[in-house]
Amino acid sequence: MFSLSAVSKHYTTTVALDRLDLEIERARTTALIGPSGAGKSSVLRMLIGLEWPDVGEVRFDDEPLRRECLLEQRRRIGYVIQEGGLFPHLSAADNIGLLARTLDWSRKAIGERTRQLAELCHLPIDALARYPSELSGGQRQRVGLIRALMLDPPVLLLDEPLGALDPIVRSELQAQMRELFASLKKTVVLVTHDVAEAAYLADTLVLLRAGRLVQQGAARELLDSPVDPFVREFMTAQRSLADVA
Amino acid sequence: MRAWRVLSALFLVVTCQAQTTGKSDPVVGSKNFTESVILGEIATGLARQAGLDVGHRRQLGGTRILWRALENGQIDVYPEYTGTLAQELLQMPEADELALRKALADRGLAMTAPLGFNNTYALGMREQRAQQLGIHSISDLRAHPDLRFGLSNEFMQRADGWPGLSKAYGLPQSANGLDHDLAYRGLAEAALDVTDLYQTDAEIPYYQLAVLDDDLGYFPSYQAVYLYRQDLRDRAPEWVAALDGMASRIDATTMQRLNARVKLDHETEAAVAADWLGIDAPETSGRVSRIWKRTCEHLVLVGISLGLALLVALPLGVFAARRRRLGQIILTITGLLQTLPSLAVFVFMIPLLGIGAKPAIAALFLYSLLPIVRNTHAGLTGIPRELRETAAAIGLPSSTRLWRIELPLALRTILAGIKTAAVINVGTATLGALIGAGGYGQPILAGIRLDDVGLILEGAIPAAVLALLVQGLFEIIERLLTPRGLRLAARQ
Repeated sequence: MFSLSAVSKHYTTTVALDRLDLEIERARTTALIGPSGAGKSSVLRMLIGLEWPDVGEVRFDDEPLRRECLLEQRRRIGYVIQEGGLFPHLSAADNIGLLARTLDWSRKAIGERTRQLAELCHLPIDALARYPSELSGGQRQRVGLIRALMLDPPVLLLDEPLGALDPIVRSELQAQMRELFASLKKTVVLVTHDVAEAAYLADTLVLLRAGRLVQQGAARELLDSPVDPFVREFMTAQRSLADVA
Repeated sequence: MRAWRVLSALFLVVTCQAQTTGKSDPVVGSKNFTESVILGEIATGLARQAGLDVGHRRQLGGTRILWRALENGQIDVYPEYTGTLAQELLQMPEADELALRKALADRGLAMTAPLGFNNTYALGMREQRAQQLGIHSISDLRAHPDLRFGLSNEFMQRADGWPGLSKAYGLPQSANGLDHDLAYRGLAEAALDVTDLYQTDAEIPYYQLAVLDDDLGYFPSYQAVYLYRQDLRDRAPEWVAALDGMASRIDATTMQRLNARVKLDHETEAAVAADWLGIDAPETSGRVSRIWKRTCEHLVLVGISLGLALLVALPLGVFAARRRRLGQIILTITGLLQTLPSLAVFVFMIPLLGIGAKPAIAALFLYSLLPIVRNTHAGLTGIPRELRETAAAIGLPSSTRLWRIELPLALRTILAGIKTAAVINVGTATLGALIGAGGYGQPILAGIRLDDVGLILEGAIPAAVLALLVQGLFEIIERLLTPRGLRLAARQ
């Protein structure tokens, strides 16, 4: 679905991506993991044209990502950030329907689709009338997700989607998202800090370090046959409760 | 969107009240001091005697403005002094009357014969004290080195003032600078012996002062004349004849008396002039209708200039926020506009827009740009990055992003800028009176000139009330326009 070839990106003092080659499979869930500054978010932002490579090429659906047709390409991608990235001056329903309305969807069609997605994402219907500041963290995240799914895009990009949630809500949402991804059969790319979450949600993990790809594969693959010691170190660094209690 | 509707409604109300003044009637101008206003009223009275309808643009903000307005035909007549004409306006200090007339004719202008008084600088002292010491002329001062001189600050500094005078006459005294009005009081209380004055000051008879004879002829001649446009001879020959007929009719004592009736006895200039001409005074309007008229004038100035500023500044602010580098240039230029002194802007505007409301509106428009442009820019650039990026990333077209996301999120900051511009505008519009735009500045100028606090307050209080109302209006607009979601967010 996406392919990056020899992509490099420099910021004034640091190198974000260093001649990165990466293929992201269609209709699968891919998690980008790696330490801070590895370039996970840069990759995700490049997929949707918020950042552009200094060198190299990003392709989406076998076409290079170009500024001229960005709007059209973006509408085939759903995008969710931490806390949902909701606009505070619009109600949940207005946030959700914003793009559909600019595309001249009828009010009825928008309402129907919204209700349908709210059910799918376990958002209570009465929450739709509320403003973001009146919603809980989990609800905001669900609204963000519904907004991303509104046009039924083939691709979903999620940047630390569950980062700001308390553990119980987070775990509940993780389970629901896994279910959702499995039923929707979309290409999902997500960035997370949490290796367990990545392994739980994604078919494929992409481990990055210092702007380069270290290893790509199923979680089991990375655990059982790491290509270098860093992979093992990273995959097992997270302390589980069993270790400490 | 609602903001536009409210604003355009306001704009309409204001423009409806704009009075249009007939262009064909001749217009008299006068400068921002009492004597000039009286002479302007006399010229107006003469026109009425000749059966003409003329307007009077009273107390315009300075020699330059009147001269420009006369050259451009916004006014047809105004009282001037030959000294000012020769030195300041035509810049031919050595010219005699014939040369001045010729220079005027080259510009399509003319002047009447001198009216009879010479309002030049002079030195004065209390009559009693002068008699005591036997002082009649400035030369006589040389014999009394102990005399205390208190001179106005301007006279102290002008090269042709005290420095030149003391040198020309070889005066041994040293002098202190002080405020002109305080100098009169100092003389009255015998804290001073000698001060500078204008020969026709109303205070001369009031404080019983003697004007010392300029026996060496040091001070240049400041003969009062009327300047007028040559084409007036065709348009109103009787009037020009009447103005010419004023030659030598007003001597210094008469002018002193007329000044005193206005400045000290608080009669109106129009009444004093009419009385002296022996005609009926024009009807004066009551205080309420006067304030109402000025309110309309003021609202026209503020409403139109602010409305235009909104139309220009909001897009400029949006543009500045989107193109960062060009934006800096725009902000710098609008900032520079703010530093221009209003009087300079007025003078600059006369050839383009004449005098009256138009140049004042243009100046107010320029001054209103900065707060609106700057706040629009600040409001838009201050939107959190993740919200701006999300708006782009979810595929909203640029115009939807602007209208549905960015402007609503920046609304409070933008409205704060508009509010600032409006309140400053209400205050600055009082300066419009300097260029004949009317408004609340009119009574304020007259009050300052006549030292009449009541008159000053007649302009200052409504101006303050209007500023508060405008502020209140924009607060209501802000309340109506702020989306509930933002109000909720602000509360948390």
